[in-house]
Amino acid sequence: MRRAGAPLSGRDGGGDTMAAATFFGEVVKAPCRAGTEDQEEEEEGRRETAEDREVRRQLARKREVRLFRRQTKTSLEVSLLEKYPCSKFIIAIGNNAVAFLSSFVMNSGVWEEVGCAKLWNEWCRTTDKTHLSPAEAFCVFYHLKSSPSVFGSCARKNMQVTLLTCRHVTDYKTSESISSLHSPFLKALKTQNFKEPPCCSLLEQPNIVHDLPAAVLSYCQVWKIPAVLYLCYTDMMKLDLITVEAFKPILSSRSLKGLVKNIPQSTDILKKLLTTNEIQSNIYT
Amino acid sequence: MASRYDRAITVFSPDGHLFQVEYAQEAVKKGSTAVGIRGTDIVVLGVEKKSVAKLQDERTVRKICALDDHVCMAFAGLTADARVVINRARVECQSYKLTVEDPVTVEYITRFIATLKQKYTQSNGRRPFGISALIVGFDDDGIPRLYQTDPSGTYHAWKANAIGRSAKTVREFLEKNYTDDAIANDSEAIKLAIRALLEVVQSGGKNIELAIIRRNQSLKMFSAREIELQVTEIEKEKEEAEKKKSKKTT
Repeated sequence: MRRAGAPLSGRDGGGDTMAAATFFGEVVKAPCRAGTEDQEEEEEGRRETAEDREVRRQLARKREVRLFRRQTKTSLEVSLLEKYPCSKFIIAIGNNAVAFLSSFVMNSGVWEEVGCAKLWNEWCRTTDKTHLSPAEAFCVFYHLKSSPSVFGSCARKNMQVTLLTCRHVTDYKTSESISSLHSPFLKALKTQNFKEPPCCSLLEQPNIVHDLPAAVLSYCQVWKIPAVLYLCYTDMMKLDLITVEAFKPILSSRSLKGLVKNIPQSTDILKKLLTTNEIQSNIYT
Repeated sequence: MASRYDRAITVFSPDGHLFQVEYAQEAVKKGSTAVGIRGTDIVVLGVEKKSVAKLQDERTVRKICALDDHVCMAFAGLTADARVVINRARVECQSYKLTVEDPVTVEYITRFIATLKQKYTQSNGRRPFGISALIVGFDDDGIPRLYQTDPSGTYHAWKANAIGRSAKTVREFLEKNYTDDAIANDSEAIKLAIRALLEVVQSGGKNIELAIIRRNQSLKMFSAREIELQVTEIEKEKEEAEKKKSKKTT
């Protein structure tokens, strides 16, 4: 009886045998001439040497996130939230969200920098721990000097988290026609404990949140911290006036009320920020 | 699904998309806004000027280019792609004139540019041109024309259109304000173009560049001074309109 038919893909268990379909449709195991030597070699490779363990330990040490003060370059021993417990925690992720916070919120009142954290993983090009370059991922923490209750009260109790970030509009999935979308537009996603009505419509399914905002929201949901994420869908991912202004509806929310005083002045500061940060690129005209 | 069908230009996705062409249209949106208006005796092209670096020579950053004495175009998207397309179009204009002894019609040169762009959506290994173009001019019969091409190689005639960043906002403004009164005479058409751009331009008249072609005349670029004058006139008219409105309500 001749065995005909296309062999199905098959790697079962450790051995290398191929499955083949016969003329009558039954599946039989055809022995593979490649043999079982591969199995032994793989096992050897899997055994860890002491050297591997040492490399792994060093990597883990490098990947540890440590907080430090930028001016003095000393690291902070105590957890930030213990030293400066807060009732309102506002996080901005991405250059447009950061520009919005810096011009509208941080220009009203005096904000003091309390710490800074930098991340390192194997894809980073340098291992400099204290110098912050704009190309790397880092985070600076500020607290309001005049009103220490913002960034001040028991951690995880009475704390409210507000997140701001941007995403490209091509990531937005909707059944409506794309030409009817007016980007940039704001969408909100909140945890169960967040009782306030959000300043814009909620993010519909099947859209999902990615990266750091997703991690923070999940943490808040698990620990029952009221948190809201304001996600701006825009077609300009670089710093852009229209995208930053799309965050303006948030200024009327309870979390930011009282923190924003002078809106016309903030708009001027924003324009200045944009002109200083404009990267000269001649690719697109 | 998109990621499996967007690497090579010649591959259709199962639902009929050519993803590279659609991505090229995203590249167009990264260029600054350009608006074109077809009046009765005039065609107007207005563009948002990109801010020039301090040490950069302003003359080398141009969005409006003449293809021939009676045809000019404005583009939005990749600068280098635009340069290549414009060069080919200019050569074609002269070659046509030498062969046929007549200047090109606006439709002919638009079709040439569109065919060129379409070729690059079908050959393997070449990506599409990442530009959209607004081509304006007068034909020998004296009729003004405005055409728009996009990276897929399609072209259409328009009465007024906008391309580039915030093109949708400008197009909506034009749909509301392009009336027979608005293009009744040349200066009204120019004002309409500037008003459309002012909707989206960030620092007012300083960042606008304007070009017009009148029947039987060649391309005229407006100087910064002339644009400023137009902008001040427009602002005055706006103020007067608002005063009238408030008088009516009180």
